[in-house]
Amino acid sequence: MTTAETLLWLARIWLIVGGVTAAAFLTIGIDRIDEDAQGTYAFRPLLLPGILLLWPLVLWRWYVLETGRDDPDARFKPVRTAHGAMAVTLCIVILGTVLFALSSRQNWPAEFEPVQLSAPDQTPSGEVSE
Amino acid sequence: MKPPVKKDTTPFFVGYFKVPKKLRSFLLIAGVAVVAFMTAFGLVSGASQDDPGDGAFRFDYGRQTVTGVIELLPYPLLHVTEGNDRIKPGHTLMLTAQGKSGVFSRAEPLEGQKVTASGIILERGALNMLQVRGGARGLGPAEGSGAPPVSEPLGRWKLAGEICDGKCLAGAMRPGRGIAHKACANLCLLGDIPPVFVSTKPVDGSEFLMILGKDGGPLPAIAYDYVAQFISLEGDVSRHGDLLVLRMDPATIEVMK
Amino acid sequence: MSVKYIPVQWNKNKWWYDGFMLAGVVGFLWVFLYVTPEILSHERPINPQIHNARAFGACAFFMMTIILCIGPLARLDKRFLPLLYNRRHFGVMTAAVALTHFSYVLNWYFAFSGTNKYEALLFSNTSYGQLVGFPFEAFGIFALLCLLILAATSHDFWLKFLTAPVWKRIHYLIYFAYAAVVAHVSLGVLQDQQNHLFTVVFVASAFTVAGLHLLAFLHERKAGDPDAVPDTDGWVQVCHAKDIPEARAKIAVLPSGDRVAVFRLEDKLSAVSNACAHQNGPLGEGKVIRCLITCPWHGFQYDIRSGRSPAPFTEKIPTYNLAVRDGVVLVNPKANPPGTYVEPVEV
Repeated sequence: MTTAETLLWLARIWLIVGGVTAAAFLTIGIDRIDEDAQGTYAFRPLLLPGILLLWPLVLWRWYVLETGRDDPDARFKPVRTAHGAMAVTLCIVILGTVLFALSSRQNWPAEFEPVQLSAPDQTPSGEVSE
Repeated sequence: MKPPVKKDTTPFFVGYFKVPKKLRSFLLIAGVAVVAFMTAFGLVSGASQDDPGDGAFRFDYGRQTVTGVIELLPYPLLHVTEGNDRIKPGHTLMLTAQGKSGVFSRAEPLEGQKVTASGIILERGALNMLQVRGGARGLGPAEGSGAPPVSEPLGRWKLAGEICDGKCLAGAMRPGRGIAHKACANLCLLGDIPPVFVSTKPVDGSEFLMILGKDGGPLPAIAYDYVAQFISLEGDVSRHGDLLVLRMDPATIEVMK
Repeated sequence: MSVKYIPVQWNKNKWWYDGFMLAGVVGFLWVFLYVTPEILSHERPINPQIHNARAFGACAFFMMTIILCIGPLARLDKRFLPLLYNRRHFGVMTAAVALTHFSYVLNWYFAFSGTNKYEALLFSNTSYGQLVGFPFEAFGIFALLCLLILAATSHDFWLKFLTAPVWKRIHYLIYFAYAAVVAHVSLGVLQDQQNHLFTVVFVASAFTVAGLHLLAFLHERKAGDPDAVPDTDGWVQVCHAKDIPEARAKIAVLPSGDRVAVFRLEDKLSAVSNACAHQNGPLGEGKVIRCLITCPWHGFQYDIRSGRSPAPFTEKIPTYNLAVRDGVVLVNPKANPPGTYVEPVEV
C-alpha cells in the first residue's frame, strides 16, 4: 500500500469508528450524561460531524461523566495563561513564514540565453536516431 | 458621611436585549465596515489575478483528423504525413488522451506505423498537442507505410526555464503552469502526459522542448521535485520532425536564484 | 442558555450579526466571481473552476482574518464585545466557504486522472524537502481539518459536555489553522503571482492579526487583573470597597491562579468565580442586571448571592466567602462549591 492509500485507509477507519460511536452516543449515551438533552432530538444530527472527527474525546468524556470522575472545579479554570504565549508565537510564525516564503520566491530568468556547450558531432554518446 | 459610590457608565451589551443606544452607531459602523472590507478585498483579490496566457482547447477548430507516423520517445509523437487546413504535413504533434492520461499504451503497438489520429487540438502559441478520441477512432492504423523522419542532433545545451506538463501548459488549464499548479502538473506527468520544458529564450527557433530522461526514457523521478520551479539544466537537444526534444542530465539541474 | 438544546439559537441581534457577516461574504464572492472577470482584460479567461477556487479560498482567508481580529479588539476596546457574541456563526460560515474552496480544487486539479482524487491530492507532490515547490496543499488540508473540527464543535452542547477549558483548548486550533493558511498561501499562490496587489493585501491582513494579538497581550500585561495580596488566616486582600462601581466588579488573581470577581450591589458586596460556566468568559467584566451577574460574552446570568442561574436555567458558579475590614475587601481564596449561597457583606 502506498502512503496515500494508507492515510486514506486510516481516515476511513477513523470515520467508521466515529460513526459507531455516534450511533451509540446519540441514542444512548447523551441521555445518560446530559439532562438537557433528554427528550430533545432535533439538535442531535448537528453533533454527528463533531463525533465523527473527535470520537476518542467523546468516549473519554462519556466515560468520565458516566463514572462520576468529573472534577466539578475543572470547569472554572479558564485557559488564559496560554494566550500570551500563543500571541507571541503566532506573530513569530506569521512573520517568519511570510518573510521566508517571499525571500525564496523565484523570478522568471528571462535574460538567460541558452548556451550550446558542444556541437552535435562532439556529443559523447552520439545522437540515437530511431 | 458615606463616600459616593463610583459609577461605571460604559454601555453594556447583552445579546438578547436591545443594543444600548450608545453602542448602536458604533456597531452599525462596524457592520458596514465588515461588508465594505470584504467587498473591497473581493475586488482587489479578484482583479489582481495574472493573465493565464492564451492556451486553450480549440473546440472552435472542430475535430481534427490527420494521418501520420508514430514515433515513441517513449512519449508518442505523431509525424503528420497527410494533414488538413490547420495541421500541415511535416508537423510533429504530441499526443494525449482525455483527462490526465497519455496514450503510450495505445501508441505502443503502432510504433513506426502509419496511423490516423483524430481529436481536439490544444494550442498555446507555437506549442500544440492533439487530444485523441477514445478507441481506434482516436488512434488507429492507417493504410500504407511510412517511417518517422530521421532525427537531427543539435548538440549539448545549457538551458533555463521550467518543466511543465505539456497538456495543461498548452491550454487544458488556465493557468496551467507555476507553483500553485505543481501538484496538478505532477499528476499529469505521472499519467504519461508529455512533459515540456519552457526555455527562457528559443533554442533553434523553439522555446518549447519535449523533455526526456538522460537515456531517452520518461521524465526521471528526480525531475518531479523541480517541476514548476525555475531551473537551469544541461542536456542533448535533437530535432524530431519540427519538434525539439531535450534529453536532460538530472545531475546538472540547478535551481535559479 | 436553553434548558433543552435546540439546533441553532437565534435572536434579533444574532439575525443582524449574521446578516452583516453574510452580506460581507456575499459581497466578496459576488465581486470576485462576477465583477472582476469583466475588469480583467485577459485574452482568454481563467478557468471558471480555478476562478471559483480562488474566490472561495481568498474569501475564507479574509473571514478568518476578521474572526481573529475580533478577540484582541474586544480586549483592547470593550465596544467590540458584541462582535464576539455570535462569532461562532461566522466561524461555521468560514468552514463552509473553506470546504467549497477545497472541493473546487479537488475536483479540478486532482480529478480527471485514473486514480482516486483524494489519493492524488496526497501523492501528487511529495517534495517536502524544499521550500519552493513545497506541497502547500498539506497546510491547506490541515487548516481545513481544524476549521471543520471548530465548526463541528460549535454547538453549546459541546461546551457543557467537554467543559469550557477543554473546548477552549480545542478552539485554540484556530491559531494553528491561521498560521497554516498563511503558509498555504505564501508557499502557493504568492510564489506565482506577478501582480503584487494581492500579496500586499494578504501580508497586511496577516500582520494585522499578528499585531493585534501582540497589542492585546501587552495591554493585558499592563492593565490586566492585579494579584490579590495575602492577609491573615490565609485570606487575601482584593481591593478597596470604594473602588468597586455600582453593579460592577473588581477582579483579582488568587494565589491558586484562579480569579475572583467582587461585585457591588446597593452597598453590599458578593464574590464569585470570575469564570462563567458557559465559556469561561470574564464575569467580573460583566454587570449586575436585576440582581443577576451578567456575562459580557454571551449574557449568561447568575444570582449575585448564590452563583446560580435563574430558573429554569441550571448553571452554577463557585462563590467565595468575603469580609470588609477598614474598607478593604478580603476574600477566602478557597472557593465554595458552585451554587453555594453567601450572604452579601455590607460595605
